[in-house]
Amino acid sequence: MKEATANKMNSEITVSGRTFIHQHAAHCESGVTAALFRDKGVKISEAMVFGVGSGMFFGHLPFIKWVGMPITTFRSRPRTLFPKVAKRLGGKFFTKEYRNAQKGMAALRNALSDGHIVGLTTNIYWLSYFPNRFRFQFNGHNIIALREIENGFRVSDPILDHPVDCSTEDLERARFARGPLEPKGFMYWVETVVENPDFRSACLAGMKESCYMMLKVPFPFIGIKGMRYLAKQIIKSPEKLGFPEACRRLANVVRMQEEVGTGGAGFRFMYAAFLQEAAELFGSDELAELSQEMTAIGDIWREFAVVSARVVKQRGQSEETFAKAGGLMLIPAGREEQLFKELYNLLRKLEK
Amino acid sequence: MEPDEIFRSIADVDGLKRGQYTPNNQGKYILDTNPSWPETVVNGLYVSDIRARIEEARRAVLAGQKSPLYYHMARRQMNTAILAKTVGMTVFRVKRHLRPEIFSKLKPSILDRYAHALVVSQEELKSV
Repeated sequence: MKEATANKMNSEITVSGRTFIHQHAAHCESGVTAALFRDKGVKISEAMVFGVGSGMFFGHLPFIKWVGMPITTFRSRPRTLFPKVAKRLGGKFFTKEYRNAQKGMAALRNALSDGHIVGLTTNIYWLSYFPNRFRFQFNGHNIIALREIENGFRVSDPILDHPVDCSTEDLERARFARGPLEPKGFMYWVETVVENPDFRSACLAGMKESCYMMLKVPFPFIGIKGMRYLAKQIIKSPEKLGFPEACRRLANVVRMQEEVGTGGAGFRFMYAAFLQEAAELFGSDELAELSQEMTAIGDIWREFAVVSARVVKQRGQSEETFAKAGGLMLIPAGREEQLFKELYNLLRKLEK
Repeated sequence: MEPDEIFRSIADVDGLKRGQYTPNNQGKYILDTNPSWPETVVNGLYVSDIRARIEEARRAVLAGQKSPLYYHMARRQMNTAILAKTVGMTVFRVKRHLRPEIFSKLKPSILDRYAHALVVSQEELKSV
C-alpha cells in the first residue's frame, strides 16, 4: 500500500524553483496545511496537523440549516486549522479575505509571482475538475495554487491524487461564491517557519484544546453532549418527522461523517493516527493505548454508518431501526468521553 | 437502480478515489483509497436525491407552475437564498421571478444577471 501511495506522488516546480511534491490526503484542510509547511521544510504529516490544530470536534447544530438540513460536523470549523497550527509551531503566516473578486485574483497572482504557494478556500461546486458526484454547494474546500498557467492556475487538491489545472473563471467563481460560510476569497500562506519547531508543546496545546471542546463547552450541542443530543434526536425522529424525512436526516448525518471531509469515520481514525505519532514523540505508552482506543471508537462510528445506511436503504424492511442507530451513537459518546478525560489527565503528566 | 448501484456506476466512470486512514496489519496508520459501503449508499442516495429534485423542477416548469429560472437554480444545486446573494437581489424578488408570468416580462439586464450567476446563456435560461 505504501509503495502505491509513493508512486502516486507527483512533483511540480513552483515559481520560486523549488520542487513541490503533491501528496494525497484524507481531508482537504489538514492536507493543504501540511503541504504548505512541508514546502517550507518542516517535516509534518497530515495527522499531526490535524492534532496540533485541534481538528477533532463534534457538533450538531439543529438551528442552523444548510440546504434544509441541520448541520452535523465531525471536525472543527473550517478555516481555523491553519492559523492554529501556524501559531503553535511558531511560524509567521499570512491570511486575508477579499470582498472584491478582481482584487482577490490580482492578490493571488502577486503572491504566486512572489514565490509563495497559496492556500485558498473555495466552493467545491464550481471546481469543474471534480467529477459531478463531488460537486455540491459547500464553501469550505481548501486547495493550493502552485503557479499561473495559460488561462488558469495549476492547483494541488489534496483530495485528488495528482495536481490539476483549474481555469481562471472557475477559480474566481469558487473563491467568491456566495451562500452559507462564504469563502470571501480567503487565502493564506506560510511566510517563515522556526528552524526546529517544538512539536511537543504544539501537540500538548492541540490536545488540550480538543479535550476542552469535547468535554467542557457549556453548550448542549457541542462535543460529547452534542453526540448524546443527536442520538436522542435520531431515536425520536421517525415519530417526529415521519419516516421519509427521518431517513433523509439520518443519511445526511452519515454523509457528513463519511463523505464531507474524509471517508469512513475518518476524523476519528485520523486522530488515532495523530495519537500514534504523539506516542512516538513523547515515548508514552499511555498515548499509544489511547490511540488504539480511538481506533476502536472509529470502528463503532463506522458500524453506526453501516446500520444507518441499512435503515435508509431498506426503508424499514430490515430489522435495523432508528433506535438501534441512535443507540449505537451513544456508545462512542461514552467511550470518547472516557478517552478525553484520560487524555486530559495524561496531559498534566506530560507537561512536566 | 438502487442508490448504491447508481453511485458505484458513476464512481467507476470517473475513477476518482478518496483517501482515508486505516490501520494496516502492524497497526500503523496508512492512507487507504477504497470507499466504504455506507459511503456509497448515502452518496448514491444524495446523488439520486439531487437528480430527482432537478427532474421535479423540470416537470414543474413544463407544467407551467414555475419559471425556467427554477429549473436552472435546481440544476446548480442552489436555493433561493444562495441565488439571491449571488445575483445581489433580495430573496423576495428572486422568489417572485420564479413565477412564470413575471419571469416572462423580465428586462434583459435582469436576465443577464441571472445568466451570469448560473453560468448559462440567456437563451438557455429561458428554456428547460
